[in-house]
Amino acid sequence: MSQPIVDPRTLPDDDRLFAPEEEMELNFGPQHPSTHGVLRLKLKVDGERILDCYPIIGYLHRGTEKLFELHPFFQNVPHTDRMDYVAAATNNLAYVGAVEKLVGLVVPPRARYIRTILAELQRISSHLLWLATHAIDIGAMTPFFYCFRERELILDLFEQYCGARLTLNCMRPGGLPHDLPVGWTDRCRTFCEAFPPRVDEYEGLLTDNRIWKKRTVGIGVLAPEVAIDYGITGPMLRGSGIDWDLRKVAPYEAYGEVEFDVPLGKNGDTYDRYLVRMEEMRQANRIVLQCLEKLPEGPVMAKRPRVLKSAKESEVYHGIEGPKGEIGFYIVGDGTPQPYRCHVRAPSFINLQVVPEMSKGALIADLVAIVGTTDIVLGEVDR
Amino acid sequence: MIALTAPLALFDPLRHAVGDDLFYWAVSPAIKILVLVFLGILPVITYLVLAERKILGFIQARVGPNRVGPWGLLQPIADVMKLLVKEDTLPIQAVKWAFILAPCLVVAPALIIFAVIPMGPRAAGGKLAWYVTDVNTGVLVVLALATIGVYGLIIGGWSSNNKFSLMGGLRSAAQMISYEVPQGLALVGPLMLAGTLSLVGIVEAQAKAGWWYLFPQLVAFFIYLVAGVAESNRNPFDLPEAESELVAGFHTEYSGMRFALFFLGEYANMIVISAVATTVFLGGWLPPFPHLLPFLHVVPGIIWFFLKVVVFLFAYIWFRGTFPRYRFDQLMDLGWKWMIPLALLNIFATGLIKLLLAHHP
Amino acid sequence: MAAMKRFLDKIMLLDLFAGLGITAKNMMKKKVTVQYPEERWEPSHRFRGMFRLDEERCIKCTLCAKDCPIDIIYIDVSQQLNPETNKKEKVLDRFDIDVQRCMFCGLCEEGCPTEPKSIWLTTKTYELASYDRWDNLYVDKAELQDWRVRPAYTDEEIA
Repeated sequence: MSQPIVDPRTLPDDDRLFAPEEEMELNFGPQHPSTHGVLRLKLKVDGERILDCYPIIGYLHRGTEKLFELHPFFQNVPHTDRMDYVAAATNNLAYVGAVEKLVGLVVPPRARYIRTILAELQRISSHLLWLATHAIDIGAMTPFFYCFRERELILDLFEQYCGARLTLNCMRPGGLPHDLPVGWTDRCRTFCEAFPPRVDEYEGLLTDNRIWKKRTVGIGVLAPEVAIDYGITGPMLRGSGIDWDLRKVAPYEAYGEVEFDVPLGKNGDTYDRYLVRMEEMRQANRIVLQCLEKLPEGPVMAKRPRVLKSAKESEVYHGIEGPKGEIGFYIVGDGTPQPYRCHVRAPSFINLQVVPEMSKGALIADLVAIVGTTDIVLGEVDR
Repeated sequence: MIALTAPLALFDPLRHAVGDDLFYWAVSPAIKILVLVFLGILPVITYLVLAERKILGFIQARVGPNRVGPWGLLQPIADVMKLLVKEDTLPIQAVKWAFILAPCLVVAPALIIFAVIPMGPRAAGGKLAWYVTDVNTGVLVVLALATIGVYGLIIGGWSSNNKFSLMGGLRSAAQMISYEVPQGLALVGPLMLAGTLSLVGIVEAQAKAGWWYLFPQLVAFFIYLVAGVAESNRNPFDLPEAESELVAGFHTEYSGMRFALFFLGEYANMIVISAVATTVFLGGWLPPFPHLLPFLHVVPGIIWFFLKVVVFLFAYIWFRGTFPRYRFDQLMDLGWKWMIPLALLNIFATGLIKLLLAHHP
Repeated sequence: MAAMKRFLDKIMLLDLFAGLGITAKNMMKKKVTVQYPEERWEPSHRFRGMFRLDEERCIKCTLCAKDCPIDIIYIDVSQQLNPETNKKEKVLDRFDIDVQRCMFCGLCEEGCPTEPKSIWLTTKTYELASYDRWDNLYVDKAELQDWRVRPAYTDEEIA
């Protein structure tokens, strides 16, 4: 670790940089337009400069991990929707993947491809929401509306498939609950073909804009060693230049059979992470188009018993590459239909650790950009 | 140049009743001020709010307000009614006199500046002019009054007894002060060309020269525009009231009519800066190319003035919809390190060219 | 040469003008506003809206109650003598769903074994607001079958 995080309240008085009466303690949140949920950051500021930042979480804790223990495996899928509520399909995918590993189910190929399509569409939708909120925090109002206009189209696709827009409940252990409706693949293809010019539009508004660059270049720099030490995953890690994407390293579902690139950043600052996520949107689009072409026929649900039972004293960890990082489920089974313990490795929870690290010495305006680039969703952080 | 005169005959009875002196010195300015403020500026401000919401909506692929009246035209009335009947909060720990004084300090100077801005030509011999008064140091009056507006923000931010408001107030104070200098320096360029500080005189000099000062003073125009956007705390320089960072900056604790006054003050500032830019750079009431296209003089000067101000206001709203926000210290960087040297260079170049042209006519 | 071009770009603010151009172009495009409540967006056929019960089809297996992730279905079944066939059969005494807590996940519909289903969510109804909290608390058996659908497009119902 480069610098240990110390609770400033425990510092002896003569160790402080400023006299206590010169520091101002500011509470950023929990009700704040740009903390993306109920995140509370206790800041010690000197004027505009942040001396220390102490995140306090738990305002959205709902006891999800306990709820998992009360119901059989397939009934827990709606609970996973509500953790990272922005990207529900990838949560579902991680959970059902873990259950399938635990119980020993083999998913038919058509289901694997459709799940990949859903996960990549969800990645696009999550990144669109990230861009919308990040841009509006930094002050550009219009990308918000443009991104939501595209996101509406994706949500319509999801709604035609599984009946809900946000909390999808679209996967089951063993496959999918129903097959694609008639015409869905054509609509999906229409969307994917119309999407890249839209990404170009957002880039035209922001990427070369000197104001955007001034606000994001050099802000929130995350060194690669620090990122690895903290266990950061996802675009934050790839923005610092480290090539680690679970879809390439340990391919799951249909990722081993499609071609795509993994964008990497150079400097590990906010601008690089922005570029990484924009390029990921384009690559996700590419994956969806390939999967639509290669979609095999067949059943969408594996042959499985009505009640899924895990073996006694079994445990499994299954992680996938969600839009925000590696989302993983660690399930311990004890022979009953309910899991004995189900722990979620939430990427936002782990990525939130570096926010104090990145924001020491920055201005408050930068803190907003830093929290935005970390792409946290409090549903995941607090569960 | 055809000078359009006000319908003087209407006021003859009043003039005879009160006497010539009193009429021209007191009564007619009073009438003009009342008409200007209540039938001119305030309706324009309220409809500017609606125009901003509609235009921002159009930029953002949605329609703005369209429920209250056709195309939302009655929306400003609804907004005014709402602000009037809202509860007027006063935080217990706030400094009461300063809290109440701050909004007035923002609005009043902005409205006063309109007294010196000409919307039509000078009156020749016994006719009413299209401006309230012609101060022969008009530009200085404008700059001085704009500076008083800064006090309102600082006092408002400080007296709210709220850390966020305090920071917003301080930020806005620093921003406005650092952009006063480029604003003033940018105006010096056209002053050198016109030879007079009076705003009416500047427009008349543009008429005499045959072109708007936009063309020889493009750099100064650009600097004035940027400094003007920063002065009125608008995007991309709206950090003092950045919603996503400081909730609402210096006007967090204000509600009801006091907040309405702050709001009014901001939009009045916008109109003032547009009006001054129109007068100094775009030729005030002159049509484009006054000598080359004489048929355009048919349209009265005030219509041209209004059109040009509308163009600036549209540009304001367009900028708000497009650009991200500058960070506070980058804003100050821009003002002190780029705008001021550029403005000084502009003055130097203007002077040099004027000197060379004087020697070689 | 490239450096010269970059310098000119910086001076001439071309990146800012490009942004202005994009927003200006979008001003002319079609707007995506839906004027609710005059125009309503019709959900798809699979949309999980308010559920409806059909008592005749129901075989009183209580699988829907077992499948609910939040246990909000309350079923009471009793055996009663049917006077017509002179046999004992199951009768539904109570079938209450706490709509306040329902998350419309559709697991009850998936669990129902009858063909066509006895409880289904594909009613395209999403306007469930009421003025009184207790209207939604326990939507009892009679109401679950007879509630009035509100918007016009749900007159033809999906079984």
